[in-house]
Amino acid sequence: MPLLEYLANGLVFSSIIVLGSIGLSLIYSIAGFANFAHGDTMTVGAYAALVTFGTVGGLGGAVLGLPYGFFVALLVGLSAAVVVALVTERFVYKPLDVGSIGLLITSIGVAFVYRAVVQIRFGADFTRYGIQAVRPIEALVPYGIRVTVHDVAIVISAFVLVAGLHVLLQHTDLGRKMRAMADNPDLARVSGIRTNRIKLLAWVIGAGLAGAGGVFLGLFNQLAPRMGFNLLLLIFAAVILGGIGSVYGAMLGGFLIGMINQLTPILSDIRLLTDFGAYLPYVPDSVGITIGIEYANAIAFVIMVAVLLVRPNGIAGEAV
Amino acid sequence: MADASTDGDVPPEADADAEDDPGYWASLTVAEKGVVAFIGLFAALLVALLVTGGLGPAYFLYIVGLAGMYALLSFGLNAQWGFTGLINFSVAAFFGIGAYGAALMSGSTSPIAGGFNPMYGLVVALVAAAVLAVIIGIPTLRLRADYLAIASLGLAEVVRLVILNQREWTNGSAGVRGIPSFFEGWPVLSTFPEAMPGLEIVVIPGSPILLETSFWSALLNVALVLAFVGVSYFVLKRAHRSPWGRVLRTIRSDEDLARALGKNTYSFKMQSFVLGSLIMALAGVFYAHLNLFVSPGDLDPITTFYVWVAVILGGSGSNRGALFGGVLVVTIREGTRFLNELQVPVGISPVRFVELPIDPAPMRLLLIGVVIILVMRFRPQGVLPPQRELIWPSSVDESTPKTPKSGVRESKAGDTDE
Repeated sequence: MPLLEYLANGLVFSSIIVLGSIGLSLIYSIAGFANFAHGDTMTVGAYAALVTFGTVGGLGGAVLGLPYGFFVALLVGLSAAVVVALVTERFVYKPLDVGSIGLLITSIGVAFVYRAVVQIRFGADFTRYGIQAVRPIEALVPYGIRVTVHDVAIVISAFVLVAGLHVLLQHTDLGRKMRAMADNPDLARVSGIRTNRIKLLAWVIGAGLAGAGGVFLGLFNQLAPRMGFNLLLLIFAAVILGGIGSVYGAMLGGFLIGMINQLTPILSDIRLLTDFGAYLPYVPDSVGITIGIEYANAIAFVIMVAVLLVRPNGIAGEAV
Repeated sequence: MADASTDGDVPPEADADAEDDPGYWASLTVAEKGVVAFIGLFAALLVALLVTGGLGPAYFLYIVGLAGMYALLSFGLNAQWGFTGLINFSVAAFFGIGAYGAALMSGSTSPIAGGFNPMYGLVVALVAAAVLAVIIGIPTLRLRADYLAIASLGLAEVVRLVILNQREWTNGSAGVRGIPSFFEGWPVLSTFPEAMPGLEIVVIPGSPILLETSFWSALLNVALVLAFVGVSYFVLKRAHRSPWGRVLRTIRSDEDLARALGKNTYSFKMQSFVLGSLIMALAGVFYAHLNLFVSPGDLDPITTFYVWVAVILGGSGSNRGALFGGVLVVTIREGTRFLNELQVPVGISPVRFVELPIDPAPMRLLLIGVVIILVMRFRPQGVLPPQRELIWPSSVDESTPKTPKSGVRESKAGDTDE
């Protein structure tokens, strides 16, 4: 039953998308622009982890098939993404006076700079962490599910990070301020919240989660300078599906987009579009599009545009 | 953006000079003088390289063709973003549709048609681009500006994925080869390159410049792109100054205002979107006949951002700015190609020459990224923001008193609708 396998993979991929989309949504609502450099922030995190793991790789024992050194690398990757994002915010975005569209365009330039620096240092080829690949978990193979302990580790770590963010947002003063600011920046400001600090905090959380997502993406697939940029549109799709500005919406949207992405192979069994030429006059019978795995991203983008049209505030946002 | 430029960049001296001596040079703004000087120096450098043989004449004309192509793409984007304020991130898709339309109709390895006269390819490409523009425009043009950016980038990726994966229509990643030159099948021009004699021009003794068949065919391509650029420039200039263009500018600065004036803004936006997309497709058609090979890699989002850099750098809304930006982007693109061929002297005696360990691809990316950031930081209105070109020269009433030395320019120019 391949469906279970697709669902399991979808869960792992969703975890990564969720980590990316929370940050993008936070920055979108608090800093006020669509940050096209968010995907490349993930790349920065992944490569920082690669470098760290190269030096502390063999550290101590292992949890879930991952050496302790990997978790050190994860922390470093996360911190590197935060530092890079804060430096960019301070020296690039903050001095600008160009409105949200200008910031959007600038963030494309920032994305290129990140990617170029990574590519100059590491080359354009794929790499992997020096972690021994593990076999799928034996107990699940009879059910047709081939997931490794690494995949389990990704899901658990992502869950811990997301749960931590939930506690921060719901049960601390800082979280309340952040939610207030995401809701209405002006009102938050006049009620005495230091909005500049909250903005910095949004960058820290957003970039940190993105960095962690990048590290996991490198573990799930491979590392390449384009890895983050390629994921960026999927993350945007998740954020828009969930409703921009809503952290919980981003979680839900990320989960759905990740699942849909990995469930695409099911569609190729439905041979609806494969020969629509047969039903049309003057069109050769062979004309048709098989929706295969290669269209997984395209489906997410089409869903994104459809959501924008039908319900621009997303599923978790208020209806128009 | 234009507001800041008109009063920001024109120092009083420039106007004062214009009053005393209405010479051409004196009437230019500081930025315009800089651009003119830059173009002069750049042209001198190119001539020097050509004469000394550092730059082959055929390759030089190829670059000129590329520059013309980028100018066309920038015109197209300018008609959308500069005129109407539409953030279209699907430039690469329209460029690709144009290139593939031409290639699939005329290319010898085309899986569906092939072998047609390139003129049919041109028509098919333009029709396909117009249809695609309407299909992309219907859902996206109602969206808020930043949503339009994301949605159009997503749909451009969908187009790229379809071209990459529908092998039975497009050859997939193998691309389409065997595209003839645009003038194939024309009475005189199709045999013009072969018919022309090989010339040898000796400017500096010892390094003659050879003009061979490849040079003459490159010359034809340049003539073609100049014709495309000229026609587009003229059409856009007329359109920009027309009542239609004024509605577009109103939409850009305040869409609600345009709607309150009774304009169907969605319809105007669609028209400007289709117009821009047609010009981008024209660039794609030219590219197919210049490169003689197209592949899905030509639809990579980076193409879109190159064109954005050109338009932002040149000055949004300004056609001559788009022209300037297009040429500059090609200079960056082609100039970085030679980075890894640079020889750096090492040591004193004996002097050795080593190649710089630079990979041009990421350097190009870095340069483009830095240019975007610097322009947005220091000159968000671009190098050549729209100024006098917005109005008919004759519409400036000569009888009105000249502005005083301390005066502001736009009161004279009547340029209040920007």
